[in-house]
Amino acid sequence: MAAEQPFGDPPPQITCAGLSKSFAGGMQVLAPLDLTIAAGRTTALVGPSGCGKSTLLRLIAGLAEPSAGSIGIGGVSPAQMRRSGAISMAFQDPSLLPWRTVRSNIALAQKLVRQPADPAAVDHLIDLVGLTGFGDTRPAALSGGMRQRAAIARALITRPRLLLLDEPFGAVDELTRRQLAQELPRLWEPQGTTTLLVTHSVDEAVLLADRVLVLSPRPARVVADIAITLPRPREPLVIHRAEFRELAAEISAALAEGAGQPPSQAAE
Amino acid sequence: MTGIASHTVRPGHAGLTAALGLLILLLIWETGARALSDSYILAAPSEVLVWLRDNRGLMARALTQTLTNAAMGFAAGNLAAIALAGVALVWPGAQRTIMGLALLVFCLPLVATGPILRVLLGPGNGPQIWLAALAVYYTTLIPLLVGLRAAPSVWLDLIRSYGRGRGAELIYVRARAALPYLFAGLQIATPAAFLGAMVGEFTGAERGMGVLTTRFIRAMDVPAVWALASVAAAVSILAYAAIGWLAKAVLRDKPPIILALPPARSAHGTRDALLVCVLALLLWWGLMQGLGLSRFFAKRPGDVFDALFLAPDAAETRMVLLDALIQTIIYVVPGYLAGLALGAGLAVLLILAPALAAVAMPVAVALRSVPIVTTAPLIVLALGRGALGTTTLVAIMVFFPSFVACLHGLRQAPGQIMDVFDSYAAGPISRLIHVRIPAMLPAFFAAARMSVPAAILAVTVIEWLATGRGIGSLMALSASLSDYDMLWASVVAVALLSVLCHAAVAMLERRVLRVFAAEQAVT
Ligand SMILES: Nc1ncnc2c1ncn2[C@@H]1O[C@H](COP(=O)(O)OP(=O)(O)O)[C@@H](O)[C@H]1O
Ligand SMILES: [Mg+2]
Repeated sequence: MAAEQPFGDPPPQITCAGLSKSFAGGMQVLAPLDLTIAAGRTTALVGPSGCGKSTLLRLIAGLAEPSAGSIGIGGVSPAQMRRSGAISMAFQDPSLLPWRTVRSNIALAQKLVRQPADPAAVDHLIDLVGLTGFGDTRPAALSGGMRQRAAIARALITRPRLLLLDEPFGAVDELTRRQLAQELPRLWEPQGTTTLLVTHSVDEAVLLADRVLVLSPRPARVVADIAITLPRPREPLVIHRAEFRELAAEISAALAEGAGQPPSQAAE
Repeated sequence: MTGIASHTVRPGHAGLTAALGLLILLLIWETGARALSDSYILAAPSEVLVWLRDNRGLMARALTQTLTNAAMGFAAGNLAAIALAGVALVWPGAQRTIMGLALLVFCLPLVATGPILRVLLGPGNGPQIWLAALAVYYTTLIPLLVGLRAAPSVWLDLIRSYGRGRGAELIYVRARAALPYLFAGLQIATPAAFLGAMVGEFTGAERGMGVLTTRFIRAMDVPAVWALASVAAAVSILAYAAIGWLAKAVLRDKPPIILALPPARSAHGTRDALLVCVLALLLWWGLMQGLGLSRFFAKRPGDVFDALFLAPDAAETRMVLLDALIQTIIYVVPGYLAGLALGAGLAVLLILAPALAAVAMPVAVALRSVPIVTTAPLIVLALGRGALGTTTLVAIMVFFPSFVACLHGLRQAPGQIMDVFDSYAAGPISRLIHVRIPAMLPAFFAAARMSVPAAILAVTVIEWLATGRGIGSLMALSASLSDYDMLWASVVAVALLSVLCHAAVAMLERRVLRVFAAEQAVT
């Protein structure tokens, strides 16, 4: 293989043009979407469940083909980007391989993208996601939240240029979630990663993202596009500040409005 | 982290229960034998031990011979299964055809392929090894095909999301996910290999357990027949258990339960079946032609067609064949249905009495691994050479696998749903009807399907060994008279009958599962 170092390259910008996806039986999941997602920033997608968030992430990862429209990631196709090993995705289901320990599940990602094994980095990440001491445990013996944290560590270990996180904290308890939300951005911000975060927690979106896109029920379209200008690093207590609460209220209102409107009236 | 080990089941507990079951079985056996001591039916365990002590040299030589052949056939058959599964994986479009051909070849009656292979390969161990391989490859292939596709698609997505393709999928996910299924297949294959080797020895080998079995049946030497059966059963059970232990040591996770593929809905069922038939005929013709085998004993498809439809005595041949086939069907159908009903019924009864099930399960698993060639002579001794003996044997062959499968299925009822029923204080009967039995149906039908070839194997073996009726006996007779037209025609007829019955069960399965277990049925 060519000695390309994906994580040495700058983070990519994502451009979706007229992107739509329908499944067999004619169910349309994404309304034609036109989107530009800035390089090196964290963009959060919030929307009601079943609206097509996971589908959008799979399209961007090149794991599914759009029914119409196109996606460009840093000037190449999702499939090309994927094949260069520059993408990491944390799936909604943690999908750890049950026969591997936490440590070897994380190390597998490095092996898959043909990076040299780095046990020290693996252990560091294990500590960082709060799994200290569980490196040699198999997934079956972990709680749902612990599995998700292991999956997050696996997504980060390859230092991807494009990080796709699909409800990564869904099963993580509130306290740990806040800690992770505090810690993790430090990992991907300095190395320049384009991060796309799907979440159903409005607070999480505001806390982590530079921009929040609110999606309507299926077929998904963008009903609000909100820039989060809060300074970084953001302390956990920032969620009690007035600016934060205003942004959160704005997003919640957009969510409710998007859900209340019949999809046909959607133009924009 | 420290809590994990303490939550595992106490080791030795299951072994203790199994030992208890075995002890009870031995006691019943010994008492029964003493009660029937004058009837030349049953030799007591004590008599068996005495016989074994007096004939240990003979026994050891025969066992070594049979084990060697069985082991070689085991290796060859399983390697073939792995290779076929590999082809089906890289070429998914061929999977249905491969499975159809594999089923057809598996349905070839061993008691006829045995004599044919003997003529083709001459004296020596060839037929024994071939038959052992033929007896095992299918029961490994099917679970392996399931296993290679058992991995959740998100695990494959994970591999792909890191930019890797099918090779990495196979190495990091599919191969490992299929391992438990492979082991389950290998486990079932061990007694089958022993059976194949013994049937091969029936067809004129010089040494081995099969040779001794035929000799002692003819001599009505009851302790010797029981001793042979006990050794064959013990060896099979031990080999079965050894693979189980190996699997546990390697995998550390529980073996999978449903081993058969759900029958796929076929948009092109008829076309696929035709394709399989044409390919089978071509393969048959090509093999005989390619090896340059004599037309006298290595019949081609055309020869069989001639014998059945064009030859001057074609009408008579057809009648003899049809008569034998009908006799066989009359014996096999009640036995098959009784075995299924008893297996499912007993499983349902036992699930209501869990303590009893814990004892019965290991015994049933052990008895399931007793090869049918060892059971057949005993049944003949006990029940005679008539309809009762034959039907009973078929029922026994069907009973054990269905019982084990159904018990697994009944236990598989999802815990959360059981909790819902508990929260309404629903009684055991209502839970049984609404949750457990629907959860059992897929396992039941998988067992019913896989039992079709087993039942036909059982009936042909006992007809061939003992009863002098039906298609099994016709094949034995044709082989000894060198009537190869009739022999090959019988093989074709039996294989077709098996495949048709298999298809009929699969059709019923699809209908029932669509209603009762919609989420498990392939729609
Ligand atoms: N492979 C598929 N085939 C058919 N329908 C699908 C498939 N994947 C997702 N869907 C449907 O698409 C819709 C959106 O799914 P998804 O993207 O998972 O939603 P979410 O926003 O909750 O992540 C859902 O209605 C789901 O049922
Ligand atoms: Mg989703």
